[in-house]
Amino acid sequence: MATIRSSNPLVWLFDPIRPTGDGADAPYRFKASTLSWTIPLGIGVIALVATLAVGMTGEDHKQFYFSYLTAWAYGVSLAVGALFFVLIQHLTKARWSVVFRRIPEALLWSFPVLAVLGIPVLFGMHDLFHWTHAELLDPASPDYDYVIAGKSGYLNTPFFLGRLAFYFIVWTLISYRLYSRSIQQDASGDIAETKSMRVTSAWGLPLLAVTTAFASYDILMSLDPHWFSTMFGVYFFAGSFLAIMAFMIVVSMSMQRAGMMQGVTTEHYQDLGKFMFGFVVFWAYIAFSQYMLIWYGNLPEETVWYRHRLMHGWELHSAALLIAHFILPFMILIGRWAKRIRGLLAFMAVWVLFMHWFDFHWLVMPVLHGEHAQFNPLDFLALIGIVGILVGLVMFRLSRHSTVPQKDPRLALSLSFKNT
Amino acid sequence: MNALKELIRDVKAAMGIYESPNPELHGLLAEFPNPGALYHAAEGVRDAGYKHFDTHSPFPIHGMDDAMGLPNSKVGWICLGGGITGLSLGTWLQWWTGSVDYPLNISGKPFFAVEPSVPVMFEVTILFSALAAVAGMFALNGLPRPYNPLFYSKNFARATDDAFFLHIAATDRRFDAKGTRQLLDDLGAKNVEVIQDKGTSDLED
Repeated sequence: MATIRSSNPLVWLFDPIRPTGDGADAPYRFKASTLSWTIPLGIGVIALVATLAVGMTGEDHKQFYFSYLTAWAYGVSLAVGALFFVLIQHLTKARWSVVFRRIPEALLWSFPVLAVLGIPVLFGMHDLFHWTHAELLDPASPDYDYVIAGKSGYLNTPFFLGRLAFYFIVWTLISYRLYSRSIQQDASGDIAETKSMRVTSAWGLPLLAVTTAFASYDILMSLDPHWFSTMFGVYFFAGSFLAIMAFMIVVSMSMQRAGMMQGVTTEHYQDLGKFMFGFVVFWAYIAFSQYMLIWYGNLPEETVWYRHRLMHGWELHSAALLIAHFILPFMILIGRWAKRIRGLLAFMAVWVLFMHWFDFHWLVMPVLHGEHAQFNPLDFLALIGIVGILVGLVMFRLSRHSTVPQKDPRLALSLSFKNT
Repeated sequence: MNALKELIRDVKAAMGIYESPNPELHGLLAEFPNPGALYHAAEGVRDAGYKHFDTHSPFPIHGMDDAMGLPNSKVGWICLGGGITGLSLGTWLQWWTGSVDYPLNISGKPFFAVEPSVPVMFEVTILFSALAAVAGMFALNGLPRPYNPLFYSKNFARATDDAFFLHIAATDRRFDAKGTRQLLDDLGAKNVEVIQDKGTSDLED
């Protein structure tokens, strides 16, 4: 363990494990140049700085904070999706996924960076989260809000900050245990690492499930503090898990174009495609379940959330979400053939990744622009920033170690995996 | 009339039911010593251009469908048909019961609306898809099938125990009693048996 851990705690947060790529077998070496991670990272940083510069000029900073929150939540959902995926693979002793497991594993170590990237959100809390306004809690004030005052035991700034810190510490801890052991195994080939990762997954999965649900309540649902839906955590998970499948397809295909990870075959892509198809349906199932119960219950404090999203142009966004996030991907991905054509699958993966962001935009923006549906250039700039940094981080991590868990006991079975 | 009989015969052959016009020669049954030999024999028979043949083993052999040259299953299409039928039926059921046959005002909600109907539409879709998938699987496998001329082979009972068989039906275009036997011998068959179709009358013995 000591040989691969960075001892400086600050360094540890951003680069916890010393490079072990030289110990990789020839076919598993990282072959691309450092440009593969410096360019996306550079684009990401420039885009974020530009977002900040544009967003902070002028009187009203609200647009910046909402655009930034959308992009940041998107980044968090990708990383959470990756963690879910890795945990489930270990817990189910999955064989098929071993050959590309380094991709979600590389994304795991974006949690510390995402925590740092969350700082602008904290500065914007007053603009973002209505429940932070003190006058709402004061019974003497004309703005006194009975409902929000009743929720102040949970929705208050210190507890909110404490919860966010807790989520990121838990996610980082689980990620570190899984990632460092997997890297460790590249050198040692010790089967005890596999068992240890499975044990971590056994307690990590329920912990992740609960923290993810509450993180989604805090970061996204509390934007509209009157409204609540117990389905929201599952909704967030469904989107995250869908997006991580698409992300793995895109990264894996890019790696293969650069001559790496040649062990990933059409069989693996078909299975990733199946998962993508399945979670397109699961997302729609959850989204509809949430909608239908609120429609049927017909209680004003619940229906108002959908009402905001069905008027002033947002009804077009809602329709686009239904069509492009569910119906079209469903129709296209249902056939076996579609999942076995790499170009088509890559296209669908990019589509799904975009629609996942569109979904978050639809969750967040009606709070700010309830009267007029719109996209702001800052939305896209912030998205490029966060995604650029995440891709840069993933490529950086991939460049430091073997691109395949080369001594995983199930690697041979993964390489020879075939759909029946 | 003959064309119709031909067609029925072809459809049955596609389901794995080979009806030889000559009951004296239903086909050849070859026994192979192990799963590997059976696998390679299936490849050989496939490469020789045979279509009407089947393999029998006590357990599933991985990759056998490729070795036999079997195409992807068509059950998916039958399932899709069932799903579309179910979706239509579920939609019609919700609309007809709710707003035509027995309209009831429930807390001012519309007699028919998509939102509360989706669960029913969804469930009926799933039900019909599942039933169609099971029925399609049975149909494409030619099941249930209580009688098979192969049962006349005493040896064949071991197909569920410790023996590996390949059966080539006489209905295959390339079938030729001598040539086919030669092919099976060349592929390493332990013994090759001529199967006669004696009908269902004297199976009791």
